Amino acid sequence: MTTTLAGGRAARRQTMRRIRPRRSPAVPLVIALWAGAAAVLWLWWDNTPSLADNTAKILAAGRITGLLAGYLMALVVLQMARVPALERRVGSDRVARWHAMSGRYTVSLVIAHVFLITWAYALQAGKSLGDFVQQFMDMVTNLPDMGKAAIGTGLLVVIALLSVGGVRRRLPYDTWYHVHLLTYAVVFLTFWHQITTGNEFAVQPTAKTFWYGLYGIVTALVVWYRILTPLRLNLRHRMYVEAVIEETPGIVSVLIGGKKLHRMGAEAGQFFRWRFMAPGMRFSSHPYSLSAAPRPDMLRITVKAIGDHTARLRELRPGTRVWAEGPYGALTAQRRSRGKVLLVAGGVGITPMRALFETLPGASGDITLLYRANSTQDLALWDELATIADERGARLMYAVNSPDGERPDISAERLRQKLPDIDDHDVFLCGPPGFAQSVYDSLRDAGVPARRIHHESFEM
Amino acid sequence: MRKSHPIRRVVLAGAATVSGIVLLLSLKPASDPASASAAGGAVPPAAAQESAQGGAQAAGQSTSTGDAAQTQYGAVQVRITVVGNKITKSEAVQAPQGGTSTQKTELAVPKLNAAVVAKQSPDIDTVSGATYTSEGYKKSLQSAIDKANAAASAAQPSQGASAPAQGAAASKTLTGTVAQTQYGPVQVRITVSNGKITKAEAVQAPQGGTSTQKTELAVPKLNAAAVAAGSADIDSVSGATYTSAGYKKSLQSALDQAGG
Repeated sequence: MTTTLAGGRAARRQTMRRIRPRRSPAVPLVIALWAGAAAVLWLWWDNTPSLADNTAKILAAGRITGLLAGYLMALVVLQMARVPALERRVGSDRVARWHAMSGRYTVSLVIAHVFLITWAYALQAGKSLGDFVQQFMDMVTNLPDMGKAAIGTGLLVVIALLSVGGVRRRLPYDTWYHVHLLTYAVVFLTFWHQITTGNEFAVQPTAKTFWYGLYGIVTALVVWYRILTPLRLNLRHRMYVEAVIEETPGIVSVLIGGKKLHRMGAEAGQFFRWRFMAPGMRFSSHPYSLSAAPRPDMLRITVKAIGDHTARLRELRPGTRVWAEGPYGALTAQRRSRGKVLLVAGGVGITPMRALFETLPGASGDITLLYRANSTQDLALWDELATIADERGARLMYAVNSPDGERPDISAERLRQKLPDIDDHDVFLCGPPGFAQSVYDSLRDAGVPARRIHHESFEM
Repeated sequence: MRKSHPIRRVVLAGAATVSGIVLLLSLKPASDPASASAAGGAVPPAAAQESAQGGAQAAGQSTSTGDAAQTQYGAVQVRITVVGNKITKSEAVQAPQGGTSTQKTELAVPKLNAAVVAKQSPDIDTVSGATYTSEGYKKSLQSAIDKANAAASAAQPSQGASAPAQGAAASKTLTGTVAQTQYGPVQVRITVSNGKITKAEAVQAPQGGTSTQKTELAVPKLNAAAVAAGSADIDSVSGATYTSAGYKKSLQSALDQAGG
């Protein structure tokens, strides 16, 4: 009796030693973003002695919006540079939401900038608003690099229109994605007019250096992390499809072989962006979570067939080459700060949870998995989960609709009833947006602090 | 997982941006305090230094750099080289850059430089299309010439400050020279009392066609601005650029007479 108790305590101590929660760098990054914006505004402030009349004010507003747009443009690209600190520490989902948000804001600033500058120059030339278009054409044809900038801005507006919610949903993902890549061309085309016609940069050499530095760093990061890093990864590990297994109706697992796969640095809970070199699939990559801890010779993803791409996965032939980028995602053991962990999975959201269920350090009884699905037939990977639960002494629960289709009760009371010390747990949550939101609310009601609920949501 | 409110976020971001920009714009003064004091004629310490230098080499060649004149597109600062009593060279040390400003500077500054050497006075023609730069140039040039004169008179201390005493005299009326614009001549008459402009009026202004309209539009504004500013550093009336430039030129010449 005493020995088991001591053993349990030792195991617990060992677990706690392995828990090293790492803070997300989101807050310092946001502070840096604001500091940069303040510095950019200072460029304008320092360079503008006075504003004599309304024309000067309109022109100044045009310059401010232009400067901020130029600054944010660099950051919007940076957010998608797949920098590990952003992808693995802040979380790919959160960064993608930042990207969408700041992208929309930047496009609005660009439009305001074009409008204000044209207006101010038209006023200055003594033209009426009717000559607006003519003034615009004058600027585009006469000022250095403005032709390029105009083409770039036109492209940007097209890209922005195609990214508007309703339009984007109607567009095939691949089309949208490849059009979106044209943003790099936009950044290139619009950069030069900032340097050559931007008052702040023409007058202040320090400002110019700062601007070159900002865009230079972003370019370097994009080249390094979006091109060179994946290239090296795939040359080293040479992945291919080993087998495709149907888990439940509509859910397939793809086994991926390769060299030294444990050296890829992937952790349970993370995902890769996969590109399968099969007809119709090679031009787009899709994020799928690992559904098992990586092994030296094998990785596994488990995917629900909902879209075009996921349906095609079923027909993959063994031996098909695979191009992967990653690992990405912050839903890993690093987020954990407590000894006890509750994993909540909704549907195919089980994939990262399954990997975490297997690998999260913990003594008997520390780890609990709650699996929600429509019916018991839809509980993919159930047998494996049961085996892991047995081996680790972990708890495994499921919640399915009753035969008459009624949804199971995942309320705060019910959660507390099942796990009386739920407020002392870290919770990892993965599932469809509606499900994730309702579970999140229940968890908060049950007394789990927000900082201990870890979730990933790719809903914009 | 806080609930997101996209509409609220858009409205907030838009409102915050607009009010932030408006706040920044309203914090900027309408005219630069530094250039205003320079126009007022107070001799800044820099000028004293310059004159000391100028005095040391009074016999030969000397250079004099005017105060920077702020325009709404940036500062203009002029340096002149004086040999004996003649300006042999005039150049812009600073001029507006960026956007159309670069073009305008490239267009206007060489012409202005040449005009100074040719005319030997700050009473040079405004380069059309570069009104602000020209005006700033002239202002800085005036201050450079003043400094050169101060340096020269420092070498001959007997000639004291007689101008300020004159300025204190009673009200007087001064008529500027006729400034030719491409639409016709502009001539300004000012009434000065105790060193201040109390009244400004146009004796001549372009007439005929749209010119009549423009004159009617611009002249009252320019009159009011001249009294308010107390100097020729007034804003051009948009839509009447040439008339404004002519007005300012004639006004400057009237003011020059007032200064003695």
